[in-house]
Amino acid sequence: MFSFSSRSARIAAFFAIAVALLIVLFPFVWVFLESIKPASFGGKPDVWLFPPTSDNWNNVLLQSDVPANILNSFVVAFSTVAIALLVGCPAAYAFSRFRGYQGARYSILAAEMMPPAILILPFFLVLYHLQMIDSLAGVIAAHLSFVVPVVTWFLIGFFDEVPRDLENQAMVDGYTRFQAFYKVILPAVRPGIGAAGVFGFVLSWNDLFYALLLTGGESRTLPVAIAGYWTFRGVDMGKMAVAILIAVIPVLILSFFIQKHLVRGIGGGAVKY
Amino acid sequence: MSYVSLQSITKKFGDVEILKGVDLEIEHHQFTVLLGPSGCGKSTTLRLVAGLEPVSGGKIFIDERDVTDLEPRERDIAMVFQNYALYPTMTVEQNMSFGLKAQNMPASDIRTAVHNAAELLGITPLLARKPGELSGGQQQRVAIGRAIVRQPKLFLFDEPLSNLDAKLRVETRSEILSLHQRLGATTIYVTHDQEEAMTMADKIVIMNQGQIEQQGTPEDVFFRPVSRMVAGFIGSPVMNFFNGVGTANGAIETQVGTFEGFPQIRAGQKVEVGVRPDDLIPAEKGETTITGKVLLSELLGVRAIIHLKTQHGLAFKAVVDHEIYRDMKSADEASFTVRDGRLHVFDSESGKRI
Repeated sequence: MFSFSSRSARIAAFFAIAVALLIVLFPFVWVFLESIKPASFGGKPDVWLFPPTSDNWNNVLLQSDVPANILNSFVVAFSTVAIALLVGCPAAYAFSRFRGYQGARYSILAAEMMPPAILILPFFLVLYHLQMIDSLAGVIAAHLSFVVPVVTWFLIGFFDEVPRDLENQAMVDGYTRFQAFYKVILPAVRPGIGAAGVFGFVLSWNDLFYALLLTGGESRTLPVAIAGYWTFRGVDMGKMAVAILIAVIPVLILSFFIQKHLVRGIGGGAVKY
Repeated sequence: MSYVSLQSITKKFGDVEILKGVDLEIEHHQFTVLLGPSGCGKSTTLRLVAGLEPVSGGKIFIDERDVTDLEPRERDIAMVFQNYALYPTMTVEQNMSFGLKAQNMPASDIRTAVHNAAELLGITPLLARKPGELSGGQQQRVAIGRAIVRQPKLFLFDEPLSNLDAKLRVETRSEILSLHQRLGATTIYVTHDQEEAMTMADKIVIMNQGQIEQQGTPEDVFFRPVSRMVAGFIGSPVMNFFNGVGTANGAIETQVGTFEGFPQIRAGQKVEVGVRPDDLIPAEKGETTITGKVLLSELLGVRAIIHLKTQHGLAFKAVVDHEIYRDMKSADEASFTVRDGRLHVFDSESGKRI
């Protein structure tokens, strides 16, 4: 048996973790260095020694549209997740309890398998005719097309773990099926709902493709703004780095709070008896 | 009409007929046990009474009210499930209060009712805990507490003891029974454990392949099984069976001997003769005997099970007192005779009692 008690094994484990951390954290460190690099060093990623500056941060936070873009991204991601959970919870419950053809639940993933490039044109045309191009509602609609299936799929597993007898018990105890669903079953899958919500939030928050094509001015989201620093005059690396770090922060915070439930959900112990 | 009445109940899942016309009458305050092998339809019957599944045909009445098309919540029943189905996010107290809240009972009354029930079951110290922090036996008590606190018209138990260890099972068995008597409840209890059924039931309903095979008191089904199936299902160790053929003078010839005094048997009729291991007594000289080679013996305490094999290779068992066991375990052969009137004869084709 491998054990961490021996000295050599502990040293080996330390180096393994160190290498993994280096690989994972290096991009963050590099992006951070870029964000405090003076413009005169711009476009020189191999320069490690320079006088740090706060110019990029000041510019992005105080003089650009990025704060508005951040707000747009939050509105889009929160709305997408809220709607996705509102639709996904009952849908996942229904798939979980459906006793017919078990392959039916996989159909929810069909939308996921389509390349976004196929969906974007119809989306664009529909939104154009609805005069919803460059609106947050349009982006939310597009994001729902891939967040709803993922959230639903994610939740089916959590509902599967809740014994049917739990809702049967509630129905015998004097409640309707719908009451049983929201008074007993939903609380039992709360960790799953949290994890699915974070998952969906990150998907929406990080999306560039739909947002880039469906928004242009007022409704630009943060990833679009990040891409916007790639101009015809070249890449404005310092400002882009600042925007990237800002984009990463909420994801990190959310992951930190939800990680316990994520692991628990993936480990399959959502409902403990 | 009886307190609970099932009239020609049928149930189909797709093309599969699970229940093929069940008629059952249950009296007020009666403890009725549905017993049978797995897949016989006993749990389905219980779920139909609870309203968790719709019937395919027939009518169900509880206290003279037609509940056939009513939702579970409208039937005024309480049910204890095999896995207890405690609400994992609620404390024990909240679990027990949940059903009363649905009835819009005032909070102070709920508290009193829950605390009284908890007191009765000795689970008051557990009230603030979550189900995940309880042992299996404690969860079981909470599930029972949650049922009795509602004072329903009818209690339904679906194999409630099968997740407990043997010792706890026997303890809980007598506890459920004394609760039943104390509350004057009407109970339908599903189990596949014939010992549980025998010890608990006022009335045993033995089901087989979606139909009621026999219903009656524990004595009825034990001493007068109506069919080969019931005879083989009830009793432990199981009844010994020997094939036989009727003769012209009302006797049955089997490989273990000839049994006389069955005038209703036709010559050449194929039958199975059944005798419980407890009804085999060591033979005196000159009696009709069943003789076998002693293979092994299991001492249970006061009594022992002897495993034997006849000269034709038919295996059978006998249950004897431990004094006899002492002589028999080292003996090569042992002879038995059947206790008077304890021979059961079944038609081989229909399986029905003759």
